[in-house]
Amino acid sequence: MTELISQALYSGLLQGGSYALIALGLALVFGTMKVINLAHGELVLLAAYIAYTVESSYGLNPIFAIPVALVIVCLTSVAVYFLVGMVKVDRELNSLILTYGIGIMLSNAMLLIWKADVRSSSSSWFQEAFVVGPLFSMRSELLFFAISVVILAALWWWLSRSWYGRALRAVSSNRDAAKLMGIAPAYTELVSFVVAGVLASFAGVALYSYGVIQPAYGNVLTVKAFIITVLAGVGSIPGVLLGAVLLGVAEALTVTLASSALQELVGMMLFLLVLFVMPSGLFGAVRRRG
Amino acid sequence: MKTGQNGAVLGLLVLAYGVVPMLWGHDPYVMSLLVAALIIGGVALPWALLGNLGGMVSFGHSAFFGVGAYTSAILSMKFAVPVPAAIVLGGVGAWLASLVMLPVLRLKGPYFALAILAYARIFEIIATEWSSLTGGSGGMSSIPTVPAAFGFDFGSKLGSYLLILTIVLLFAAAYWALRRSHYGVALRAMRESEDATRVVGVNSTLLKSLMLFVSAFMTGIVGAFNAHYINFLEPDYAFNGVWVMLPIVAAIFGGYRTILGPLVGAVFVYLVDQLIFKSLLPSGHQLVLGALLVAMIIFSPRGLLTLAQRPFGRGWHA
Repeated sequence: MTELISQALYSGLLQGGSYALIALGLALVFGTMKVINLAHGELVLLAAYIAYTVESSYGLNPIFAIPVALVIVCLTSVAVYFLVGMVKVDRELNSLILTYGIGIMLSNAMLLIWKADVRSSSSSWFQEAFVVGPLFSMRSELLFFAISVVILAALWWWLSRSWYGRALRAVSSNRDAAKLMGIAPAYTELVSFVVAGVLASFAGVALYSYGVIQPAYGNVLTVKAFIITVLAGVGSIPGVLLGAVLLGVAEALTVTLASSALQELVGMMLFLLVLFVMPSGLFGAVRRRG
Repeated sequence: MKTGQNGAVLGLLVLAYGVVPMLWGHDPYVMSLLVAALIIGGVALPWALLGNLGGMVSFGHSAFFGVGAYTSAILSMKFAVPVPAAIVLGGVGAWLASLVMLPVLRLKGPYFALAILAYARIFEIIATEWSSLTGGSGGMSSIPTVPAAFGFDFGSKLGSYLLILTIVLLFAAAYWALRRSHYGVALRAMRESEDATRVVGVNSTLLKSLMLFVSAFMTGIVGAFNAHYINFLEPDYAFNGVWVMLPIVAAIFGGYRTILGPLVGAVFVYLVDQLIFKSLLPSGHQLVLGALLVAMIIFSPRGLLTLAQRPFGRGWHA
């Protein structure tokens, strides 16, 4: 039993890596533009399908899909940015509906191109076991967890040390004050969408490498990313990573101890619990209540 | 209401109850298209009510639709409740489901919208997993149809059309009355400034919850009607995202700040989708609906009906 539980904890931790990438993309865009991008999960899924095409049509390891995914997903993300920018009245609600519409477009486009079938990687190198002591994982899981941690560290460095990163945080915390300091908010927003696209590309390729994908999955990803940001409380990268690992672990434990059908339910329950008990999130102090 | 509006509403009623049944009443294909369109309209109207009066965008109305459908189906099949009563109780079931969503009202704007999306998934999972009651993912079949009454068969296509038309128009009337009541005034004031409205003593959370209840109840009734109309339910169908996606497109297209906009939008969008887009793109035709939604939000967020019919539109604004 202990082995099962420690195994679940381990798998959950690894899963948390890509969850964190997805959630951070959502959180960054929300920070700068105060827009929840409901098409974010679809962007991740798009990267996953690009990985599928690269693998199935060209016989390459999915990891080589990353450059292609970066280009296509970032361009799509930038397109979302420009469309959101075109919303003039009632921005908060209308931009939600707009990104919802973009999500519908993307998921149906993926349905048209890649059909409704469930896809997963056939790379045997990826699926080979990697055993650390009593813990088991696929190579792909560990590899992409490492990549996620590196990206998160780089992102943390970028946000806290570089000029652009600081500008982005400045716009998130106080848009008008940032303007007065000579930061162009529009440009910063664009940067946040590009970074979200980068994060989504890696997360998508990771998801394809160790999991299964289908066109309807984008919605689920958006909800998960949202749950993580609520768990974390918008604001800190370590908080998002912890929230992501928490969700990953909770899901893995549910699959081990109960049933895989309840996997999604546990995330929601966690989310509701946090909403009731500590509405500003587990790790954040940002005010969200109305 | 001004006389012009009275005339327009009267004309619409004559068209819907008189001309349409006379021309197409015996054509099952046209009737089934119209029933489906009105079902979408029956969700679009409460969705728009919540958005317009309550200021909340919901991506989780499929939850109310599904809960209403399952409540009514289970009550009529396992507890022998007569179908008309079961449909009303389906609305009550959806209202109860909305009670669970109350804590979400603490969240504002985007957080509410996403939280309610998460809720919709919870109900779908429950419907799938609680198989002793719901039949699980296999679903429930041979759900009884609405029985004949007053010598008229409400189970037929024409009967279903008249029934859902009446339900939807009753909703529209209720919406209209609600908007004119002092609740409507307070809600309109809340839209301008929620804080200011609270200061003068309006309990804004209570009012928003009321709007959520009304919206959920109406959606549940339509879901229940649909279950007895198609006689079959499965979780994937009853809680499908399509039950919120089509109404959103319809309401935005017709104008979600108006009462008739969502209904007219539903009939138009559904018919165009089924007759044109679906024949062009059999599997991904909702792509076009997504594009339509995007275009509407960018170019005409208040809806086409308000643009096209100025005098008619103005009076119907909240």
